[in-house]
Amino acid sequence: MRVPVIAAAAISPWGTGWRGLGQVLAASAAMPGAPGVPAELPGVPTELPLASPKARKMMSRGACLAASCLGELLRGVAWRRAECGYFLGVGASGGSLEDVIALLAASIADGAFSLERFGDRGLAACNPLLAFQLMNNFTMCHGAILEGIGGPNAALFSRGAGTTAALIEAVHAIAGGDCEQAIAGGADCALHPVTRAELARDGFVARGLVPAEGAALVALGAAGPPGATVVPGAPGGGSSAAPPIAVIEGCAIASGDARPLADAIDEAVSRAREGETLGEVDLVVIAPWGPPVAAELRAWTGANAANAAVIDSSSLGDALAASPALAWVAALDLLAAGRARRALVLGAGTDGDVGAVVLSRGAA
Amino acid sequence: MRRQVFVRGTGAYTPLGETWRATADVLATGATAIRPIAVFDATGFPCTVAAAIPEPLLEEDRRLPFARRAAREAWEMAGVRCEPERIGVFVGAESGRGRFATVLGLARAARSSSGDFDHARFGREARVFAERIDESVLSPSGVASRLAAEIGARGPVETVSLACASGSAAIVEAARAIRLGLCDVALCGGVGADVDPLMVAGFGLLGILSARGVSCPFDVHRDGFVVGEGAAMLVLAAERGDAACELAGIGRSLDAHHLTAPDPEGDGAARAMEAALRDAEITAVDYVQAHGTSTPLNDRIEVAAIKRVLGAGAARASISSSKGALGHWVAGAGALGALYAWEAVTRGTVLPTAGLVTPDPACDLDHVIGRALTKDVHAALANAFAFGGANSCLVMRRCA
Repeated sequence: MRVPVIAAAAISPWGTGWRGLGQVLAASAAMPGAPGVPAELPGVPTELPLASPKARKMMSRGACLAASCLGELLRGVAWRRAECGYFLGVGASGGSLEDVIALLAASIADGAFSLERFGDRGLAACNPLLAFQLMNNFTMCHGAILEGIGGPNAALFSRGAGTTAALIEAVHAIAGGDCEQAIAGGADCALHPVTRAELARDGFVARGLVPAEGAALVALGAAGPPGATVVPGAPGGGSSAAPPIAVIEGCAIASGDARPLADAIDEAVSRAREGETLGEVDLVVIAPWGPPVAAELRAWTGANAANAAVIDSSSLGDALAASPALAWVAALDLLAAGRARRALVLGAGTDGDVGAVVLSRGAA
Repeated sequence: MRRQVFVRGTGAYTPLGETWRATADVLATGATAIRPIAVFDATGFPCTVAAAIPEPLLEEDRRLPFARRAAREAWEMAGVRCEPERIGVFVGAESGRGRFATVLGLARAARSSSGDFDHARFGREARVFAERIDESVLSPSGVASRLAAEIGARGPVETVSLACASGSAAIVEAARAIRLGLCDVALCGGVGADVDPLMVAGFGLLGILSARGVSCPFDVHRDGFVVGEGAAMLVLAAERGDAACELAGIGRSLDAHHLTAPDPEGDGAARAMEAALRDAEITAVDYVQAHGTSTPLNDRIEVAAIKRVLGAGAARASISSSKGALGHWVAGAGALGALYAWEAVTRGTVLPTAGLVTPDPACDLDHVIGRALTKDVHAALANAFAFGGANSCLVMRRCA
């Protein structure tokens, strides 16, 4: 099953946009944890021209990133949005701790927490829209509402491989005739205080993981009319007459439960190739969770794709559910720039699961 | 030729019973689990009733014990034998929470002397609270991962977080995986464990809970939903075995309209229903398990959408909602709806809408009121519509 990628978008610490992202990563020698690399990357700016102030107030950071990235992807793209699919890898949505603190402060009676006051005055002190920040699917739904995306959909919780599952769903939704076009990717923020505390507690920060945030999306489907036309000069892609950016040859995930990571990679790659061997790739982009996993992914690459250039997307920090999608987009940039012909993207998450995506230049 | 997907096992853990069979028998009498909240002091809260599971549980996060029990029942009923690599697990779940005291401790740790959020203080003091919470408690995927380990599944494991459509959408994902050959057997469903102060407060903030404390979908007096909790699981398989029911149709859509309000024309809901019926290659059903939340707007718009989709056939379809008896399970609701549909198709028992006394004239369909209806149901449609506008619909059909 070969599905064309006709547009892409990304928001990362490198900036907004996907063209040049892979080339920057390829040129970057600085790895998280190396001297001079900050322990945490700063937040990235987002643009939401369609969102009202009230809508912005309802968004978690992940939702804001996703909506901004979706707007970037669709800017200038003339699609039948009501039928377009949307499949997104999302993280645990983080609400504003300021709101939680206000809620708590109003719930104190006689120096002690009062559940009764919590249910009454505590609620009154809190942003009434807080609940919208907390639901994971809203990371996807805010953007869908702003942009009018109405087709088959899923928000898949991701700590790595779930974002590849979103891509798999999008590919199959097109292949199965559920929709002609679909958007897939991931958006997440590791800079939320609770998320950072979790990452620290679980030892990821000590092992070199650099918390960051970001979003990346790819648009899949027919490159030309009737469903999809790309306006010349649009940020997501090229001209309507241009060929697709690349083709997804295959994508798959494999469970890493209770076995060496290399075995899970073998299985994911084999599934992505529907049982065939990987064949020659000249680029491998890895999206690990910190340096230890990066070392394992590099070791696998050395043994199985020794001639390929290896790029590590963790130079962008770790944006959790967004990281695999940022790695796809980096690979797309290098394919579009003629720096590679065929690429394998490997993503690994804290759960040990592995996602594999094979991309190549050429027609579907 | 497309692979068929058969329902081999069902299980549930609910406020009305520790199994689906026990629950269904009680539901058939028209009973409701909605009671004054006893698991915490709800005085002063916007809604003081819920359909809660009263049993104290030792785990920090109650989602897993709920889901584990439902999964065990479904898995034992299915009795499937399959290579671990060919078994998938698909669970609809939102983020879990630690115990309320732990969450409060986290919030206090972040509060500076001026009452603002203090990053430095949070970093110093939050750790002691964070360490009380196992990673799997907060992660939506913790439930699916644990269940996969317990049944020895090594195939695809996915967690769908689509709010009130999560459980239904997880079943959709499972069916797709079987059809595509990614696995042969799938444990799937959803779990909600939202009868806690934070969630009751959160839904209260939205103004969508019943101030009267009554869940009565489609009733003229309905004024909001009541929170419920529990887990519902199914085992789907490519091999029929002794299954009497197949999951024949699946459909999804997005409203792309509003975060809480449904599309006033019911367009997104209608598109999901149409997609599921088209997928099943049928145009009529004998029963609709409605999303039916008991909120004024949702119920009216859902009925209008059902009429639009089924046309004249809408009058011949019985309709009911689980939420009158068991409240709104949020991430588990769609999976519970699937069990209602399965019950109707396999046993000819259409479970009633508890709480419904006087149907709203704007919701004029063939409601099942009072006790269960015995009816020959060849096909049933189960709806799930989420905050945010994600819609997911299933068609269950009797095996030929």
